[in-house]
Amino acid sequence: MAFLGQEEQIRELQNQFKYVYTLLFLGFSLLICRLVYLQIFKGDQMRHFSEENRIKRVKIPAPRGMIFDRNRNLLVDNRSDFDLEIIPQYLKESKQEKKVISLLSEMIQVPENIIQKEYLKHKNQPSFIPIKIKTNLSWKEVAQIELKKIDMPGVEVRQEIRRTHLFGEISAHLLGYIGEVNSSELPLLNKIEKKYRLGDQIGRFGLEQKMEDILRGEDGEEIKEVDALGREKLEKNRNDILKRSFGKEAIPGKNLILTLDQDLQQVAVKAFGEKIGSVVAIQPQTGEVLVMVSRPSFNPTTFSRGISAQIWNQLIKNENHPLRDKTIQDHYAPGSVFKVVTAIAGLEEKVIDEHTTFHCPGKLKIGNRVFHCHVKHGHGDIQLIRAIAQSCDVYFYRLAQKLKSVDDIAKWAQILGLGKKTGFPLAGEVPGLIPSEAWKKNRYHQDWTAGETASVAIGQSFLLLTTLQLANLYSTLSNGGSLFRPFVVKRIETAEGDLIQEFKPEKMGKVDCQPKTLDLVKQGLFQVLNAPFGTAYRYRIPGLEMAGKTGTVQVVRLSEERLFQSCHLLKPEDRHNAVFVTFAPVEEPKIVIAVIAKNACRSSEAAAIAQPIMIEYFKKNDPSTHSKINTKSVSSGNLLRVDLKEEEAQNENYQPAPPSPDIPLYPPFQSEPTGENP
Amino acid sequence: MTYSSIESPEPQSDSSHQAPVGFVEEDLKKSHWILLILEFILFGIGIWNLMSATGVQNKSLGLYKTQLMWFSIGLLVTVFSSFIHYSLFSRWAYFLYFSNLILLGLVLLVGKASLGAKRWLSLGPLGNMQPSEFMKISMVICLAKYFESDPNLQGYRLKDLLLPGFLCALPAFLIKLQPDTGTALILLLTCASMILFMKVQKRTLLLLTFSVFIALPFIYQFALEPYQKQRIISFANPQADSKRSGYNAIQSMIAIGSGQIFGKGYGQGTQSQLRFLPEHHTDFIFSVFSEEHGFVGCLLLITLYSLFMVQGLSIAYQSNDKFGVLLAFGIMMIFFWHIFFNMGMVMGLLPIVGVPLPFLSYGGSALLTSCLGVAILTNIARKKSMF
Repeated sequence: MAFLGQEEQIRELQNQFKYVYTLLFLGFSLLICRLVYLQIFKGDQMRHFSEENRIKRVKIPAPRGMIFDRNRNLLVDNRSDFDLEIIPQYLKESKQEKKVISLLSEMIQVPENIIQKEYLKHKNQPSFIPIKIKTNLSWKEVAQIELKKIDMPGVEVRQEIRRTHLFGEISAHLLGYIGEVNSSELPLLNKIEKKYRLGDQIGRFGLEQKMEDILRGEDGEEIKEVDALGREKLEKNRNDILKRSFGKEAIPGKNLILTLDQDLQQVAVKAFGEKIGSVVAIQPQTGEVLVMVSRPSFNPTTFSRGISAQIWNQLIKNENHPLRDKTIQDHYAPGSVFKVVTAIAGLEEKVIDEHTTFHCPGKLKIGNRVFHCHVKHGHGDIQLIRAIAQSCDVYFYRLAQKLKSVDDIAKWAQILGLGKKTGFPLAGEVPGLIPSEAWKKNRYHQDWTAGETASVAIGQSFLLLTTLQLANLYSTLSNGGSLFRPFVVKRIETAEGDLIQEFKPEKMGKVDCQPKTLDLVKQGLFQVLNAPFGTAYRYRIPGLEMAGKTGTVQVVRLSEERLFQSCHLLKPEDRHNAVFVTFAPVEEPKIVIAVIAKNACRSSEAAAIAQPIMIEYFKKNDPSTHSKINTKSVSSGNLLRVDLKEEEAQNENYQPAPPSPDIPLYPPFQSEPTGENP
Repeated sequence: MTYSSIESPEPQSDSSHQAPVGFVEEDLKKSHWILLILEFILFGIGIWNLMSATGVQNKSLGLYKTQLMWFSIGLLVTVFSSFIHYSLFSRWAYFLYFSNLILLGLVLLVGKASLGAKRWLSLGPLGNMQPSEFMKISMVICLAKYFESDPNLQGYRLKDLLLPGFLCALPAFLIKLQPDTGTALILLLTCASMILFMKVQKRTLLLLTFSVFIALPFIYQFALEPYQKQRIISFANPQADSKRSGYNAIQSMIAIGSGQIFGKGYGQGTQSQLRFLPEHHTDFIFSVFSEEHGFVGCLLLITLYSLFMVQGLSIAYQSNDKFGVLLAFGIMMIFFWHIFFNMGMVMGLLPIVGVPLPFLSYGGSALLTSCLGVAILTNIARKKSMF
């Protein structure tokens, strides 16, 4: 029975086989379909992925362009050093952590537990991110590690290029610094073209920032065949073939040759000492910037491989703002050096001429307020040239009263290129401020007062100028009215030294005024340094035909008695700013120097900075003029104050006779106006 | 050849001699030879492929030799098994089942741990053995025996399936504890295939299907380890976590896909040679093969496996003994689920669970089990043909 039943049962089971074969068919068909999809439809893509897998692309960072000064002194260079890194992912997979670390410790002379500690410290970050174990490896260490690399999976020697500023903090603001690209910037940077990767270096300040596209090179790529542990396969021939066919050489960035003179920069920084402020020197015939110093400064090299939070905080918290470029990013009330603009406005608006005489009793009441002259007892009767030379405030108050409004001064200030950016190729330049009636109305909803016009006339009130603008203004005055765009990059060259672009002086315009106007002003500026009564007579460099103007600018409003008390009794931040602008030689000026020394009280402090720069300039560029300079006084140290005895002796020689002829005049002026008025 | 000492389960041998089920003796003779030849071909491919897969690693350079040794043992088992009648398994079915169950328990107690799982029992100088591999065969023997002795012409109802269900669940649970999800899964799939192969009432079938669907989310929530959940998540979206659990799946798909039509050539598979493929000599051996031999090679391999399956199933079909039919069918289902699951998972169709590919994956116990399976099949085929 049972066995007959079994036959039945077997038949029944045999009936089930159709389902079994169906299952078999469906199962294998599914697998084949998947294979068709993976190997035939997606084959190319998968092949590409597998190539990517075994080929490690190693970035060869392109060196950034170097920066030279006008004499081809190297200022910014790339110095490479080597770091030791561990990639935990590969090390973990090899399961030889202990062995590798002890091997490493022997090679780099770092105790095992310190490596272990560093290694564990980064435990929580993704394991493919390299951990830096040691920086600045020696050549011997690099060689040893490279030799043993096959036994140490996950150990890498990384070449890092450190942007090095050879002169440290000198020229730091102009040259600028670099930093690493962070993830939030990437989308914007790579909007047009994929150029940057996370961690790439990018210019952050100064020329490094402005000239980023030029300085940055094109990274190269090395192709290496690696296994899943990241180890290179040691088949050298194959790697060479790979490198040849797929690798890419790094193209170095382009070099910059500046108009800057690093020797003058050094002299300027030395002259500045501990003082705070800025100095700009320009070639008035071209607009080339020779000196651009902002103090205090910082060392940009510390930025190039990631600045430490500590140093950064120190820089940020320093109340003297070492990170600000005080030549273009800060503006100040110019003070008396602005009087030349008022003079030009007066002359051109025909409210005065060289003979117009005002009486200076030492103060002048305008409206309800008494305006003081810096000389308590006044200058007496005074005319334009002498008013400039002696920096008589009352003369300019009176001149301001004669003008229709402050807009006359504003008009001429603008003609002279003030109140707007000079167009200097650095980021963050501020335009300064030339106030007008409309401006005040708009800004403060108040009417302009006559007193404010008087303040503007002597360079105070709302007026703001950058050091660069000041230098540029005097450059225009000294060269006969040509307005140049100041520039600092002279040439762009390839790494091999082939010229790519050369920058020529760019004349932005010519001041449309009578030649005589500029001559009169220049005459005044000449006397500032050369007439015994000139405010900067003591700062002249004997033998050099200098002209210029001093200024001491009140930082806070002072009461009458405090006005004349010694500035050094004031709180440091309330002390006057010292301003000094000078150019030489007066006839055909070759250099204009503008100095603003913050809270330095006396313009002599600013003059002391300008003098050594001036002397160094002529020493380097015009030996014949330099030889005429009284070397005895040159060697006299920080501020070249012409010896008092000598000064007195000169004063004795000087005959205080008729007003005009005895004033030392420089030749061209002497021939014309004095000819008219003998 | 003598097996007179073993009592045939069917005393009325003449009725079966008449071959009522319609098998042809010649066919069966051919079948088991073809099956053996296919086994040799597949194993040959396996060794050849293993030599490529492990070629770069010095420490595992000799792996294929170990594999060859295991295969020789497997052949000895095949030869030896031809001296016994498979009905012996029918008698010893429950003994085999429970002793294997004890071994599984022992694994949990004194087993050798590797890669976070206890799967091996140390056999001293003989190496290690994996009881869970042999459990698959013991399980099939046990179920074949159970269903043979419990005929149910009306079709099985749910309550009839409770005991066999329990017999399956017990070893599956022990294996799952090791943990070895792959083997447990294969075991359950094989048992389910065998149960469905029997006549199950439609109502019961519907009920079972329904309850499996109900149970799935609970299994996911409570029965799976976090790493397994992660694998399922990364299976659904491998790119989401390409460095961790999705890594294997992606690298495997890249390996297979990059083989394209003709493959990269023997020994040229960069994915495996450069060790981007994990476990490339065991579970991911098919990826190595497909990378180096491409679609053409894979098609050939799958054809060989299909032929192997068809031959094995035809032995089951032609057996005139219910135990033989069930035993052969169960063993072929072990093979089928191994092949399907392994290939499916390396191709990214199924989540990654450790399932070796018969004859190709490195591993002694698995190879021995496969050999044993084929030995039993030839045994079934030859014993029938002798009547």
